[in-house]
Amino acid sequence: MKELARLLNEMQQAGVVRTYALFGATAQMRYTEPVATLDADVLVAVASEDRLDPLREIYDFCAARGYRAEGEAIQVGAWPAQFIPAFNPLTVEAMEEAVPADFDGVPLRVVRADHLAVIALSVGRAKDWARILALLESDSVSRKAIAELAARHGLADAWQWFQSRFLND
Amino acid sequence: MTDSEVMLRRQAQWQKDRCSLSWPEKIRMAERVRGSAERLRDRSNRARPQTLSLSGSAPTAIRRRER
Repeated sequence: MKELARLLNEMQQAGVVRTYALFGATAQMRYTEPVATLDADVLVAVASEDRLDPLREIYDFCAARGYRAEGEAIQVGAWPAQFIPAFNPLTVEAMEEAVPADFDGVPLRVVRADHLAVIALSVGRAKDWARILALLESDSVSRKAIAELAARHGLADAWQWFQSRFLND
Repeated sequence: MTDSEVMLRRQAQWQKDRCSLSWPEKIRMAERVRGSAERLRDRSNRARPQTLSLSGSAPTAIRRRER
């Protein structure tokens, strides 16, 4: 992860990405107990968003440093990293408002807990429901914060449904 | 409280305590879990053809494809 953090910072300094933020399970672990995951997900704002292959520069940058692509990911140290251009207002906001964290002395931007929860709400797989519950249980986010953010991104109904299914006694 | 309940409670507490580990430590823990899962998967993939060969003939789906 330290190697990935260094690479992401280099990418930003070189202008390959405008900004980035770690999200998904590796970000979740900053707030909850450890969870099993296969890869590290990274939201990116690429410099040339209008291209047909927006990730080309990232792949080229990684290849020039000896990191090879494997399927949908690029192997960086121990982690296959999946780069995902921020694709809607929610993920753009999550990336822009990510918090600076420290990974063994290397700075790394990580999505906030409330954004992680609402992104999970918008995706809606079983593991996403589990993520929301884990974030709530760890007290890293409140129901109120999720409700407000969800409402702002048109997910109020989804949050109501989630509450009635998993949280209301 | 039964022994099982005590064990379950202790296990839940142990899991909750892991929340307080540092983020790098939690990530390293996840790396170890993933490494073990991959080794198990590799082992089961290697074992599978042997199991098939014991049946004496290829499974139906493979036989169909070979025709």
